[in-house]
Amino acid sequence: MAAVGIGAGIAGGSGSGEEQVVIYSNADDEAVQAMKNALDENGYAGEYIFQTFGTSELGGKLLAEGKNIEADLLTMSTFYIDSAQEQNEMFRDLEFEVNTLDEFPSYCAPITAQEGTILVNTEMLKENGLPMPESLKDLADSVYSGYLSVTDLSSSSTAWLLVQGLISEYGEDGAKEVLTGIYENAGDHIEDSGSAPLKKVRAGEAAVGFGLRQQAVADKADGLPVDYVDPQEGNFSLTESVAVVDKGADSNAKAMEMARCIIENGREELQTYYPLALYEGETTDAANISANPKVFEEPLTVDLLEEHQELSEACK
Amino acid sequence: MRKNREIKVIFVILTVFFFAFLCVPMLLPTITYGFAIIYSFGKQGLLTRLFGRQLFDIYGFNGLLLGYVIYTLPISFMLINNTMGYIDKKFTVVSRLMGDTPVRTFWMTVLQPLLGTLAASFIQTFFLCFTDFGIPASVGGSYEVIASVLYTEMLGSVPNFGNGAVVALVMLVPSVVSITVLTILERYNVRYSKIFQIELKKNRARDTVFSGMSALILIAVFSVFLVMFLVPFVDEWPYRMSFTMEHVRAVFADSTLFGVYINSVIVALVTALAGTLVSYGAALVTARSSVNGKLKRVIESIALITNTIPGMVIGLAYLFCFSGTGLQNTFAILIICNMVHFFSTPYLMMKSSLSKMNGSWETTAMLMGDNWVKTIIRVVPPNAVSSLLEVFSYYFVNAMVTVRRGRTRRQKRPGRRESEGN
Repeated sequence: MAAVGIGAGIAGGSGSGEEQVVIYSNADDEAVQAMKNALDENGYAGEYIFQTFGTSELGGKLLAEGKNIEADLLTMSTFYIDSAQEQNEMFRDLEFEVNTLDEFPSYCAPITAQEGTILVNTEMLKENGLPMPESLKDLADSVYSGYLSVTDLSSSSTAWLLVQGLISEYGEDGAKEVLTGIYENAGDHIEDSGSAPLKKVRAGEAAVGFGLRQQAVADKADGLPVDYVDPQEGNFSLTESVAVVDKGADSNAKAMEMARCIIENGREELQTYYPLALYEGETTDAANISANPKVFEEPLTVDLLEEHQELSEACK
Repeated sequence: MRKNREIKVIFVILTVFFFAFLCVPMLLPTITYGFAIIYSFGKQGLLTRLFGRQLFDIYGFNGLLLGYVIYTLPISFMLINNTMGYIDKKFTVVSRLMGDTPVRTFWMTVLQPLLGTLAASFIQTFFLCFTDFGIPASVGGSYEVIASVLYTEMLGSVPNFGNGAVVALVMLVPSVVSITVLTILERYNVRYSKIFQIELKKNRARDTVFSGMSALILIAVFSVFLVMFLVPFVDEWPYRMSFTMEHVRAVFADSTLFGVYINSVIVALVTALAGTLVSYGAALVTARSSVNGKLKRVIESIALITNTIPGMVIGLAYLFCFSGTGLQNTFAILIICNMVHFFSTPYLMMKSSLSKMNGSWETTAMLMGDNWVKTIIRVVPPNAVSSLLEVFSYYFVNAMVTVRRGRTRRQKRPGRRESEGN
């Protein structure tokens, strides 16, 4: 793990050539490929370098390096972009029209949205005679003790989708009570990675988990004994956005063009993986329309995440 | 006669196998050990299925212990094996001729010369476990270790570098103890005037017993990794067990793989070359030069502390140090980072072999008119070839694994949507 932070930053950068636009991203491979396709098909092939990072790695870089960051353009969790902008004023306003369904700041435009949901392994439920959970609160029921896998909010923002649901439904005190029960049930399966609960459910290590909805939809469609239940408390979501780094006189003019290209030409393919509609004129297909989409009442920021982390830590 | 030769061939083959299988796990990022354990001993694991029941609870202490042992076995083996090569077996013969009891012979001619290495190996493995967070992340369960605390602080959903730095500092404390222990044990080091390669006394029973034990260890290690040779060819472990080449095909179809691979090889080669030179140089100074003892201790401390600091911390430290400079995002920084991070084991390997060699070579050479530099270039390297090669390959392999980790940590299984989402 030595040079992960920097290792990831370099190993792919062999393509020489001048003035290539450097794009940093925390997106999954599928999303990165979709963005690359959009760029390549619109005449930018060979004019950019894509580097991918884990969310926290890139988040750390954003907050630590500010405008010194190597990237000209990046895609990242929106709440991180907001906080980095607030701390370092490092992004330029976008110079093109974006017609988003929800309101976004002038310096970023969303590329994907991901919802959280309850995941189950149907075989495991049957084998162990467990009831199908209906709400997040159900996960605190002691019948699921030893069968539940969730992500730790201190390690991964995927867990935020769970915590937001609990707080908005039950208030902070109520959320604490439920979360304490959930952590008790999860025991050994309080995971560091956002995708670990699905992996544990898929591997038959856990019967119930909390994770990203579109992944469970895909697994189910793939014929695995994986199913999902939209919790009564609601499906909360996190978006990832594209933003252009303000490098003053050194700014690469193509970065803004590429940001525009990704939004205007990449969304169609992106939506095949992250089905939620984000722009006017887009629709979400039936399987991917969650039962109860909700938005947290306060704006999502790194500060709010820290507050919620404290709450979560108190429940362990 | 012919039968003897056949037996010899079999033993050579066995040795090679032993080396290969034991060291294979070293090539994998530690998080893979965790998943190997889950896929082997978990509720639906391969071994669980073979035995019909779960052998033990894999989360918490048990899983950690198993993972750590598999992880550190190759390194400990390499260190001890390397020093073994520099022990003069003739001493054993002499000791027996003088009428020593076998126990005493073993203590005087095998164990004592190995003492420093054994301690070094203990300390190395201790810190490898102490600083690893791949294994706790996958099978740690609710058993919290300091490395995962550090991971959460440094690379959690909101990185807190200040707190992380404090945790990292606390992690340095045990290295003070380890430096002291190694310094004390140095007194027990045995130097040989010339290392004789002699035929060991034949003993069929001894060879069979120890081969058997080695084989058992191998089977145990290998059985955990067995599943890793199956998973790539299985459609969807554990619920769709049909054979498929799809995963393999998809990985090789990735057009960026080749470029990444070439980059890794370049970085690893340069790291190995530079790293071998530096650790050889450092070991020469501490083991075969007459420079000030304080300076030697400084080198010694640096060597041990680099092992105490988790790679992640070194990576982040460099990130902060060189942000905005010309070094940021270059191969150079990656190579330096690797060299520093993996310095400890090669250094100890070089040092234990150099300090076993005749201490008067330099004096002899000097009397014959050579200076120190000439001596260490002409006389020492030919006698340390095997260690130099091992150090080179150690650096190369670890650098390869690290670069690859940086790149493929986020590579998903083909044909399926997945998000690290952290």
